[in-house]
Amino acid sequence: MTPAVISLRAGRPPTARRMASLAAAGRLLRLELKRNAMPYVLPLLAAVFFFDTVRTAGGFPPVWTVRASAIGDHMLFEFSAFAGGIAAWAGSRERRRKALDLVASTPRAAWARLSVTLAGTLGWLLLAFLAGVAAIYIPTALQATWGGPPLWPVLAGAAGVIAVTMIGFTCGVAVPGRFTAPLVAIGVLVLYQAGFREALGLTASSASSGTYALLSPAGAVPSVDAGVYHHVAPDVPAVQVMFMGGIAVALLGVLGLAAALRQPASAGGLRSLRALLARGDDRLLRAVAAVLVAAGVAASWTAYSLAGTARLTATGWQIPALHDAAGDRPVPFVPDCTSGPGGFQVCVHPAFSGYLSEVTAALDPVAAEIAGLPGAPVRAEQVASAGTWPGGYGPSHTAGNPPVFQYSGEQVGDLFGAFWGIPAGDWPDWRAGFQQGLLDSFLAEPPHPAAAVRTGPAPLGAAQQAVEDGLMIAAGSQPPLRIGQRGQSGGPSRAQITAAASRFASLPASARHAWLAAHLAALRAGTITAAQIP
Amino acid sequence: MNVDISGVTRRFGRHLAVAGVDLETGPGVFGLLGPNGAGKTTLLRMMATVITPSAGTLRLLGRDPGSYGPRRELRRRLGYLPQNFGYYPGFTVAEFVEYFALLKEMPPARIPAAVAAAVERVDLGGKARAKLRTLSGGMLRRTGIAQAIVHEPELLLLDEPTAGLDPEQRVAFRALLRGLGERATVVVSTHLVEDVGAACTEVALMDAGKIVFHGTPAELAARGQGARAAGDAPLERGYGAVLAEARS
Repeated sequence: MTPAVISLRAGRPPTARRMASLAAAGRLLRLELKRNAMPYVLPLLAAVFFFDTVRTAGGFPPVWTVRASAIGDHMLFEFSAFAGGIAAWAGSRERRRKALDLVASTPRAAWARLSVTLAGTLGWLLLAFLAGVAAIYIPTALQATWGGPPLWPVLAGAAGVIAVTMIGFTCGVAVPGRFTAPLVAIGVLVLYQAGFREALGLTASSASSGTYALLSPAGAVPSVDAGVYHHVAPDVPAVQVMFMGGIAVALLGVLGLAAALRQPASAGGLRSLRALLARGDDRLLRAVAAVLVAAGVAASWTAYSLAGTARLTATGWQIPALHDAAGDRPVPFVPDCTSGPGGFQVCVHPAFSGYLSEVTAALDPVAAEIAGLPGAPVRAEQVASAGTWPGGYGPSHTAGNPPVFQYSGEQVGDLFGAFWGIPAGDWPDWRAGFQQGLLDSFLAEPPHPAAAVRTGPAPLGAAQQAVEDGLMIAAGSQPPLRIGQRGQSGGPSRAQITAAASRFASLPASARHAWLAAHLAALRAGTITAAQIP
Repeated sequence: MNVDISGVTRRFGRHLAVAGVDLETGPGVFGLLGPNGAGKTTLLRMMATVITPSAGTLRLLGRDPGSYGPRRELRRRLGYLPQNFGYYPGFTVAEFVEYFALLKEMPPARIPAAVAAAVERVDLGGKARAKLRTLSGGMLRRTGIAQAIVHEPELLLLDEPTAGLDPEQRVAFRALLRGLGERATVVVSTHLVEDVGAACTEVALMDAGKIVFHGTPAELAARGQGARAAGDAPLERGYGAVLAEARS
């Protein structure tokens, strides 16, 4: 034996051998990281990520759970295409570059060799993924007024990146070629775009099996107060991690089996393969690979089965076998409150403190117009959405004694205007719509309290609409154009309602207040016409 | 004997690439001559443990490459330059040689010095940091030789190592071969007989999957004396005479 060919085994204690082996693996990994193709595509990935994920997340209110939803909905979509393509490129390297004979004559097992190449690719991808998460979370940390960064979406996203990387790498090893990488990238895009969720069962025609779609990290944007009043149960992301982790582990095993069996099979056909199997060479390696395949399939199958048992509750999706009921308790908080110039108190959840002044500025002028009247709210407070996505939420309403105007983050955002990153000043409808929500519940005949939570106030009649518009004009707002008369057919025209509203708005505030005090009951009962409004 | 091959046969489907080859050789430079398609590359691939023989036995460096453990030990002591040398264009010369040193399980502490020495031995010291995609064919071939010798193998298998080298580099390479042959068994497959004459201590000539001559270069040259075989040099005439005799 020549001096330099002293193997890692010969004459070395086990600890030293392990250290040397680790050092060798570390140096191989360093080379793979250094010469990986990922840095060449990073600028493109960064551009796509910025224009889609970062801008989308930036448009969401600074609520941790909502911003984090961009990881599954947008970020993973972009990362998956790149991860699949890059991994396929790396996986196909040995055969694409016709280096198989060269590497096959070395003592390091093909599986170990491929694993280092895979680790180099995965290292880059996970680094880029974590940088992307930071690009979402750091601005959120600077803007958010409550809560902290959720880790489960990150774990589920990372599991998704790992699974797609494994799929791409395995495709590259199995079908090496210069077109494998782009085909895998396109395939991943199509899978994501055309229907990972559908493929998993969320279709209109198979609503009963729709819960399998929960295995996909991509989903609709959650309600704006998700994770604010109640913790988001980790059941679904845990199942997603299990499902995608299972895929990754199984494919790692497949890679081991393929590496052990492919080379003799391709070099010498079935006869060589049979000879290899008969000799029991690499038996331990194949056994480990087979165990990994079995474990991965079992994990994914378990996750798939668990997803089938998911049920939607008021606080979100729950999977009974994984659910911890202790997490269902409401999250304690102290509301942020302030009063406007008119003395109307407005409270928001501390997660929405950034919107307190805008909400107060919108509600205070109209609240002042009706202050002291029967049923007029004494304050406004934000409450949890009646149902968390995808169960929907109810309109704002006035309830309790003394009456309190209750609204949710969803009303502030979806129904009445621009919660989603657009300043209220840029969208006048937001302010008017919010005021209208308060007046709707004041002017309409109060419905059954339980129904109000879900259905909101009854539609306004022509006179009620005219008074509402008049009060809003008096408060300095333009009634939203999209909301017109919702009374009976054959009633006054929109022009007549507008004229009545203008008349009413032009009255002195004290006169408006006095008229309302005298005619409120009749107005609510619908016995006053628009023409009777002063 | 470092190489002990007995009755080795290799089939690819119906094609018989190597037909019952027997070969024994010890330290020194062993030339494997033969026309295209003679089976040289297939024999070398079997010796490199890349493919297994369909029949027959191989013992290399006293080990049976058919068994897992001995094969690993053998591969640690084996250097191989394939005919179709696949390389990774993004790697530098030094990185590529280091990569293979690591794959050959060299002790990591020895690798930097071994890489530098191997790169210097093939006269690529000035190009150690150049990416492989920027190198000429001859330089790539020398990089391939550097990765094959980086761990100072006991058995070195070189398939057409001088292809693409200019005359000056070939002369230097032959000197390198002679040096390597002093400590290890070097098997060089080539169809350039002048390489054999200048560097090999022993030579075998293959044709149609069989070894039709085994001896020294001088013995091969002697076979051409008085024969009507074509060739400008004694070795070429010996080569032609042996082939003609084998085919007659």
